[in-house]
Amino acid sequence: MIPAIDLAAIAPALGALADQAVPVGGAASSAASADATARGLRFLAGAYTIVWVILAVYMMSLSIRLRRLARQVRRLKERLGG
Amino acid sequence: MPERTAILTALERLLFLLTAALIPIGLYVAFLAVPTEEKMGVVQRIFYFHVPAALAAFLGVALCAVFSALYLWKGDRAFDLVAHASAELGVLFCTIVLITGPIWARPVWGVWWTGEVRLTSTMILWLIYVGYLILRQNAENRDQAARWAAVVGIVGALDMPIIYKSVEWWRGLHPKVLKMSGGGGLDPQMERGLMICTASFVLLFTYLLVQRCRLGRLRDEVDLLEHLTARLPDPPRRAAPGGIA
Repeated sequence: MIPAIDLAAIAPALGALADQAVPVGGAASSAASADATARGLRFLAGAYTIVWVILAVYMMSLSIRLRRLARQVRRLKERLGG
Repeated sequence: MPERTAILTALERLLFLLTAALIPIGLYVAFLAVPTEEKMGVVQRIFYFHVPAALAAFLGVALCAVFSALYLWKGDRAFDLVAHASAELGVLFCTIVLITGPIWARPVWGVWWTGEVRLTSTMILWLIYVGYLILRQNAENRDQAARWAAVVGIVGALDMPIIYKSVEWWRGLHPKVLKMSGGGGLDPQMERGLMICTASFVLLFTYLLVQRCRLGRLRDEVDLLEHLTARLPDPPRRAAPGGIA
């Protein structure tokens, strides 16, 4: 008969063991993980740069269009008033 | 009237300050405060701008549909201005979604794009509203274009529930981010981070909407003034230095 094991009681110990676990492959594995992080960072930086470039271009175009129209309104009002 | 203008200007300034304050907080949260996701690693942090951009795009499309319906019902030009501005912002934020999505997908799924339903339906939504903007840009009769565009704006919004529910209906690859009920979902810190980034994007959307509506009003004013000045006699031309006009 298989003895009953109280999993709840040994869970903290298993967790501590998992924390101390050394990845299989040692240095090679950690190098691969560093590579993956560097690659992820490149994608992340690319995405954020594109987001802010798109928003900045839109805001600039909006601001230019607003100023141009405000100038046009002023000129036309002057002409009507004069 | 000048008092009302002063209040609106103060509110607009407050909106700008709030947006400008919340965006750096959002960046801090997305890059530094939230934990790194175990399986996807740092690239998962794209999510803190991808999801809020998707919500802002949805907001743009929903507002466009609501104000288009109001325009068709009441015929008030002010509703059409808001619908047009919302559609433009919907396209802007949908563009961000369609760019950041594949950048996330490449390292996680191994491909930039798949025929997955959520991706395809989002692309369709973008195309519908780009069509809406092209229709408005090239129309000769403004009122007729506004009516046609309002119909496109309402029909196009029907794609939104398909996008939202596609992950459940077709069980695609796209992760389910927002779970309204039940367990699982996001880590509480990630959830808070997502809320802050979403709030900053909604504020940015609102600020841009106010500015875009002002642009529409100015354009109308220019049209009216040009119409009025067209009746005036041509202004006298200044004589050239050589005496030839």
